[in-house]
Amino acid sequence: MGKVIVVTSGKGGVGKTTSTANLGTALALLGKTVAVVDADVGLRNLDIVMGLESRIVYTSMDVIEKQCELSKALVRDRRVDGLMLLAASQKNNKDDIQPEQMKAICDKLRTTHDFVLVDSPAGIERGFSNASAGADEAIVVTTPDVSAIRDADRIIGLLQNARIEPINLVLNRFSPQLVGNGSMMDQADVLDILNIELIGVVPEDSGVITSTNRGIPLVYEDGSPGAQAYMRIARRLTGQRIPIHNFEQKGILNNILNWFTRKR
Amino acid sequence: MANSTVALRAYGDGLHLIIRPHLSISEVEAAIEQEITRMNRSLAGASVQIDLKSPTLKEEEIELLSSKLQQTYDLTVRGVEVADEPVLPPIAAAPTTHVISPTTDTRTSRDSEPSRIVAHTIRSGQTEEFPQGSLIIYGDVNSGSEVKAGGDIVVLGTLRGSAYAGMNGRLSAVIIAMDFAPLKLQIGNYVNRSSVSQEPRGYPEIARIGAEDVIIVEKFVKF
Repeated sequence: MGKVIVVTSGKGGVGKTTSTANLGTALALLGKTVAVVDADVGLRNLDIVMGLESRIVYTSMDVIEKQCELSKALVRDRRVDGLMLLAASQKNNKDDIQPEQMKAICDKLRTTHDFVLVDSPAGIERGFSNASAGADEAIVVTTPDVSAIRDADRIIGLLQNARIEPINLVLNRFSPQLVGNGSMMDQADVLDILNIELIGVVPEDSGVITSTNRGIPLVYEDGSPGAQAYMRIARRLTGQRIPIHNFEQKGILNNILNWFTRKR
Repeated sequence: MANSTVALRAYGDGLHLIIRPHLSISEVEAAIEQEITRMNRSLAGASVQIDLKSPTLKEEEIELLSSKLQQTYDLTVRGVEVADEPVLPPIAAAPTTHVISPTTDTRTSRDSEPSRIVAHTIRSGQTEEFPQGSLIIYGDVNSGSEVKAGGDIVVLGTLRGSAYAGMNGRLSAVIIAMDFAPLKLQIGNYVNRSSVSQEPRGYPEIARIGAEDVIIVEKFVKF
């Protein structure tokens, strides 16, 4: 029986879809069977980020309306074994789906997959309740901005009310340089406010933009810091114990100091 | 805690008797008696300046009060000042305090009130309300959340949201937090909106209505 994990944030644009695509792919690369579900009905994106948009025939809406079987609506990612996408309908809107219907889909997917990752839309309304309806666990994605953190805090409260546990935090678009010069909140500040378990820090990585545009999740090219961060989070999701990578020590000043100490 | 209606304070130029607005002469007299008993030492021979926070007492009432102070406590009134704005700066930086509408303190002491313990962090969008008494929070009160209590509010964590103590009108209610960075404070009908968001100072602080009729926030040493 697989786990259903909702990937959510409250605020838009913090990296929910990028994180879902990368974590789904990373888990599949680790040998797990994974279904990624786009719950952003009407504003779907996950298919583009995963580069599968041209292969979608049926969506979750068709499954709900009994136009096709769930297994037929799943799009197989040919680059890795065991990775499937269930796309959202672009024609409908979030009110056309009931939370119970989403839960039924998740419950069915978990019988055939180790992990079901549900990409939640931004907001706290119907789209969020649909996305979290079938979830056992949650991953909250935030950037170190006060606005994203306040929205994450709100979402954590709602997830706790819905008894979804554990709630793990992904700190995305983290910039050691900006933390170093005092213009960005550091890891400790964010955790102090949100007070949930940190499952990973993803550094700011311009490679994300190119990877999104090309439809190739970052983790396929394992060299970049972002890809490595997502691989580490995926390993933690499978139960491996890996210490949280500390990007903060690698500030510019520290690099210069390290360089000097190495010379002598 | 100091009597909330009148306060005797020693400043550079001697003793000041600070009298808050919206009080009748009998209330003032009773409060003075309480304040002087509380000080528990003789003030005989001292001179005092009366600072009236608003011109609610009539002139003959002030005269009556002066002679009474002289007779009962041997206190000489050296002057009367009627202020429409606070004469002295608050102890800690306190931005503008707005009085919504005058009420009188109707509640009994905090000792007789019930209290409720909330053993988790109050997150953005959540409200914790306890009109019957005081709230004690084992966690943070995060930005975008609200805590309201009939009595005091004690936050054993960081206060970043808004806090409303004394919601039934008890003006002696206080707000205590281990770290103080609130968006908005309200005690009774006194509202204090921080013009700039305050950085936590790393020590506990207490907010209460001071004799100067503004919400003051100061280092919390002991109650």
